Amino acid sequence: MRKLALIGLDCADPVLLAELLPGLPTLRELAASGSFARLRSVDPPITIPAWMCMMTGKDPGELGVYGFRNRKDTSYAGLGVASSASFSAPAVWDLLGERGLRSILIGVPGTYPPKPVKGLLVSCFLAPSTEVAFTYPATLREKVKALAGEYLFDAREFRTEDKARLVEEVVAMTKRRFALVRGLVSTEPWDFLAAVEIGPDRMHHAFFAHHDPRHPKHDPASPFRDALREYYQLLDQEIAALLSDLPSRTRVLVVSDHGVQRLEGGIALNEWLIRAGYLALKADSLEPGTRLGDLVREGLVDWSRTIAWGEGGYYGRIFLNVAGREPEGAIPSSECEIVRTKLARELAAIPDEEGRPIGTRVLFPEEIYREVRGIAPDLLVYFGDLRFRSIGTVGWGRIHLRENDTGPDDANHAPYGILIDYPSEQKGGDRSILEVKDLILAHFDKEAS
Amino acid sequence: MSKAREIRLSEEVVRAIEAHLVELSAGSVEEYVEAVLRERLRREGHLAAYSPEEEREITRRLRDLGYLD
Repeated sequence: MRKLALIGLDCADPVLLAELLPGLPTLRELAASGSFARLRSVDPPITIPAWMCMMTGKDPGELGVYGFRNRKDTSYAGLGVASSASFSAPAVWDLLGERGLRSILIGVPGTYPPKPVKGLLVSCFLAPSTEVAFTYPATLREKVKALAGEYLFDAREFRTEDKARLVEEVVAMTKRRFALVRGLVSTEPWDFLAAVEIGPDRMHHAFFAHHDPRHPKHDPASPFRDALREYYQLLDQEIAALLSDLPSRTRVLVVSDHGVQRLEGGIALNEWLIRAGYLALKADSLEPGTRLGDLVREGLVDWSRTIAWGEGGYYGRIFLNVAGREPEGAIPSSECEIVRTKLARELAAIPDEEGRPIGTRVLFPEEIYREVRGIAPDLLVYFGDLRFRSIGTVGWGRIHLRENDTGPDDANHAPYGILIDYPSEQKGGDRSILEVKDLILAHFDKEAS
Repeated sequence: MSKAREIRLSEEVVRAIEAHLVELSAGSVEEYVEAVLRERLRREGHLAAYSPEEEREITRRLRDLGYLD
């Protein structure tokens, strides 16, 4: 049985990677001898749910998971953090396990808390710490410690101006993760490996302006202008070392959950909703950066006069305040579609500071998902097609912000990630993240026949 | 990890698990039963993935990472 190793590089972008490939001999060889395709992510192109969409072949609507936090119920404050328990659809490793095939899974976002698998599982950066049960089987944690030392799920205190420390931290995290992957594939039985490195995403958000001369904040004299390039060189070396530990005929997929693009600013979503008469607060004067969730908990939202409210992040989510659905719904359900369509049109028309259109896209869940489960947002908003962050906090006194409300950030996500498939007869073209599960299953079907 | 209490399982179930520990990827009967029950209880909504303190800390980290605001 020919093994399959999936190496996940969170946020690896086809354009950026193509630019860096000349200096990345391992990835260049894999792409040249195999295939290198753009991989269309889901909407929203965000780590959660995108990786689990890839691993289940289900879109966010089918999974009922629309982001890191989702509405647990139709109350105003009922948001819960997504975990492995949020994903009920079988993942590809569950299906392989039913066929008697063993998997090694490391860092796949959406795998904390660990579920039993046929094989080994080291969960992702959503694990609170290494003090909790973060592996399956639980005793695997001792081996993790032996192979990787102090295992780092993620970069700590990410929003920092201390870029040198951040580079050191991401590099240490990546080296330890690859040490763990190499240690496990060399000593444990397996057929399928899925190992996801979160480091590229962290480096993009922290250093994209230093790397990209077209970025509004780019400084050609920055001491960190090569940080991103050098990090990819490290990744390339780590992948080369991993490949040397794999059986020679192993099929290798290098994939990402989404791409990256420069972040040009932010649109204060709830500020705009207030100004446009959709959201009413009971407080007049607010500190800049006040979270709407805090105002909800303090009873400072006037729900009787609120039509819609928003959740911010890399993309915006709009929830309508519908009578019969929300506790103090203000829109009769018969008018819901009229209101939603009008709001979508107005959101799409929000210009930049100079009044120029920014190409905002507003998505209707029922139009982009095959099924809509759980409590979906009523609208998804990509300001400037994700070149602008959706700022959910209020008190800014303006709609347009230059800086992220949660700290320095150079990048936002882009809809296309990567798929390098080695060896592969197929060349180039675009693929969907939802095809990857079947690609993996087809590999093992072919091997079994 | 929370405190442990002893429970009784039938000999038949214990022997079945013991006979298949390698296939079940578990080191012991206790480890397997604990993992399976935790997964089942979480799926049914009877056991939270995070304690309230953990959820607050994860939310803080997700804000720090920019996923939430």
